[in-house]
Amino acid sequence: MRWNSKYNSIWLLVVLICSISFTTKLVTSEQVSAILENQRKNYTAGESISLDFGLSKTVHTQLFLHSSFGSILIDSDTGSFMLPDFISKKKGLLTYELLYGTKIIYKGVLKITANRNTAVQLETYIGPPSIIVGGTDYTMQVVIPTDVYDNPLPDSTAMDMRYQFLDKEKEIEVYTASLIGWHRIHSYDVSGRLLIASKVNEKTSKEFSVEMRPSLPSDFQIYSNRNHEYADGNQITEFTTSILKDEFGNIISNGTRVDFNIKTENNIVLHTQGSTVNGVATAKILAPDDQTRWQVKAYVSGMAESNVLNLEYKSVVDNFEVKFAKKNREIKVGPLLSFMDQLIPDGAIVSMEISKQGEFIEKKIQTSFLGEVVFRLHEGFYTSGDYDLKIKALGLKKEFRSIILQ
Amino acid sequence: MKIKNKNIYGLLVIGSFIGILIFVVFGVSQILSYLNSGADRSSMLHVELNKEEVYLPKVIWKDTTNPGRSMEKQTLLDIEKDYLNAWYVRHVAYQTNLINGIDEYYTTSARQHIVANIDTNRKNNVSVIGTTTDHNLSLNFYSTDGQLVGLRVTNVREYQSVYKDGKLLLETVEESDYQMLLLLEDGFWRIRHLIKEENQADKKGFIAKGNTQVIGNKIHTGGIEYRIKGINYYPQHTPWDMFGDDFEMSTISKDFDIIKDMKLNTIRIFVSYEDFGKANVKQEKLVKLKQVLDKAADKNLKVIVTLFDFYGDYSVLDWTLTHRHVEQIVTEFKSHPAILAWDIKNEPNLDFKTRGQEKVVAWLREIIHQIKKYDPYHLVTIGWSDIESARLLQNDVDIVSFHYYKNIDAFEEVYQELDDETDKPIILQEYGISSNRGLWNPLGASEGKQADYYKQFQEIVTKNSIHYMFWTLYDFEKIPNSVVGTLPWRKQKQKYFGCIDREGAKKESFEFIEE
Repeated sequence: MRWNSKYNSIWLLVVLICSISFTTKLVTSEQVSAILENQRKNYTAGESISLDFGLSKTVHTQLFLHSSFGSILIDSDTGSFMLPDFISKKKGLLTYELLYGTKIIYKGVLKITANRNTAVQLETYIGPPSIIVGGTDYTMQVVIPTDVYDNPLPDSTAMDMRYQFLDKEKEIEVYTASLIGWHRIHSYDVSGRLLIASKVNEKTSKEFSVEMRPSLPSDFQIYSNRNHEYADGNQITEFTTSILKDEFGNIISNGTRVDFNIKTENNIVLHTQGSTVNGVATAKILAPDDQTRWQVKAYVSGMAESNVLNLEYKSVVDNFEVKFAKKNREIKVGPLLSFMDQLIPDGAIVSMEISKQGEFIEKKIQTSFLGEVVFRLHEGFYTSGDYDLKIKALGLKKEFRSIILQ
Repeated sequence: MKIKNKNIYGLLVIGSFIGILIFVVFGVSQILSYLNSGADRSSMLHVELNKEEVYLPKVIWKDTTNPGRSMEKQTLLDIEKDYLNAWYVRHVAYQTNLINGIDEYYTTSARQHIVANIDTNRKNNVSVIGTTTDHNLSLNFYSTDGQLVGLRVTNVREYQSVYKDGKLLLETVEESDYQMLLLLEDGFWRIRHLIKEENQADKKGFIAKGNTQVIGNKIHTGGIEYRIKGINYYPQHTPWDMFGDDFEMSTISKDFDIIKDMKLNTIRIFVSYEDFGKANVKQEKLVKLKQVLDKAADKNLKVIVTLFDFYGDYSVLDWTLTHRHVEQIVTEFKSHPAILAWDIKNEPNLDFKTRGQEKVVAWLREIIHQIKKYDPYHLVTIGWSDIESARLLQNDVDIVSFHYYKNIDAFEEVYQELDDETDKPIILQEYGISSNRGLWNPLGASEGKQADYYKQFQEIVTKNSIHYMFWTLYDFEKIPNSVVGTLPWRKQKQKYFGCIDREGAKKESFEFIEE
């Protein structure tokens, strides 16, 4: 129920009056019939297709064509239509309607099939591009064979799928279905490169390759290498692995990361890592500066682990000298002597904790230079009074109580 | 005087300086924001595309088992999304003859076919406005590396209207099958091969097997001939907003009793497209509608449900959204015993002038098809506002309906003409007169006149045993602007069509309407 109803009646009246006052011209729609002169229904892509209609009267007609990728409308004054080549080249069902004005006077369907007589084009998709040895993983070769007009060849087109690996060469016949031909290639137990190709009729594809990569590493051994067994905080300990291999004996891929976890006597975990080259990973770590015992174990995270390696480090010094000078405000530690009584190499860490009447003030840390470390307690920071000092170097501790600073 | 001039100059200088400053700052900010656009990750990864729902055809995955790799749920969603987008951009391209978006959803070698078609159409000044409404997909193949899929889609319902030089030449509806290959490129599943194939479907018509049927030109329910004696119904306080916030089931129940006491057997109610949630129908609205229908069934009243009230787009690209709307409502109530018929839309012919008759009629025809697909058990009609339009789509509807507000004396003749022309049952779906004599309409009908009108009309419908539904039960207090506009004399008229006045007293006309 809307207001228009009343107004409509007024309008109708006006229209009625108008139509009486003007003479109307009647347009009679002519009856035109059409027959298709060539009853052929099947075409091969690339053939020129002409639809010739015999019309009962020569009039202007239009042809509506609906193909796979969309619709177009073409004109003719003679009733004869040459389909554009982008239509006649494309495989698929083509429905058409012949129009005279807005009237459909003929309807039909054509079927265009791929042209088997042209050179075959092969479109190949291979993936994944790398697979893991062992036979459970596989890659897939998918081939879309088409004619020169990019129409997929009909189902059940035979194609040869070929592949080569080491001394094996194989050829498999595959038939296309749903536009494609495809085939699975499972991996072997040996790593390497697989070469793949395919062939339809006389047309051969390019060469494709799929990398067969080693499987997961199996458990391995680790070894250590050091110049001496002293905890001098200076030498480097090197860890190496045995050659990492998968269960089939393939050396695992270069760059596989190996993590070395080191547990000290105090249950502190230290960490170093290395990547494999030709199956061997190497990692390095600085020696401790205090006698200790290390337990080392290496992992390829989530995949493999090594044996446990025990390493012992001996203390490098059994004593060191401390000298006080400049009213006790300059404290000289050293000379620090190593296992052969040589001066310890530069960089050994020496620390001194300063406290006053049981109250901690500061921890000074310095590295040795020419076997010596000098701590200076400046007047500006340390007023005169009694101080307690704790000096620590290479795992040894010395305590000095009530050192008087002036 | 001089000082005054000086001040004016000063103001001008300062004003123009500030103006230039504003202009420069605005310009610089515009340049900066332009340079910053397009580089963000969301636009590079295409994650923000198509947030708005523009194309929602019915998609059914019939089968996803395939000899290649087993399909993941997420990938299937991605494929479906890109598959539909490929259709959508193609529809838009053929409509506008521009190839925007085509390269996102078709590979280089596939898109050239579309480009060739569109070039031809552009040259011939042809545009093809089309849409596809149903897609039954099955997965032929999914490759191990997840980069290639083969699909078969059957019974794609394709509607196309062909315009040349702006004039409609042809409308076609076709069901087609396609075979296609899609490749995953740049994060898009792009169509590589698309091949139209012979449609294998067995074409069956929809036969109403439900409780309501049309046999000959008679309506039957439950095997018995049924004559509609009915009313167009809105509750008194919520006209044109029956299922809104003020929905009150007890009021509706009481009204149903009144209607029942009047010995009427049918009501006509209205479902607003927007109010019900457009393409995503709101559950709470369906619950309310169900309550009304259940109550009607309880009281032994039949209901004609008018859909798409206040809908007005009709554009072909909007079709699938309306299909989803209708699917959700109609599927929910396909076996409801209270429904006599679905009325597609109230007075769609009033939109002919603004939207174009072909567009409206094509939309109606397709909606009828959709309703029949989801609910073959109920009848379908269209509530034309005049008897002339009732000739349209006669073969598609089960019942022909029209509204009559013109001269009562001419009615019998025009009705007879229509009856001779059609072999379907006819409903006089709306008629009535407003008793709005007063300030805004001094020449309008009084309540007495309204009573005379009904007296005369009821005689005519009884004599010819015409299916009738008059307008309406109540006088209304408020008429929404969306119904008749804002002009007070129109609104005023619309308020007094009832046979019960605002206070709830029966008007003089009541006794003549009562059977």
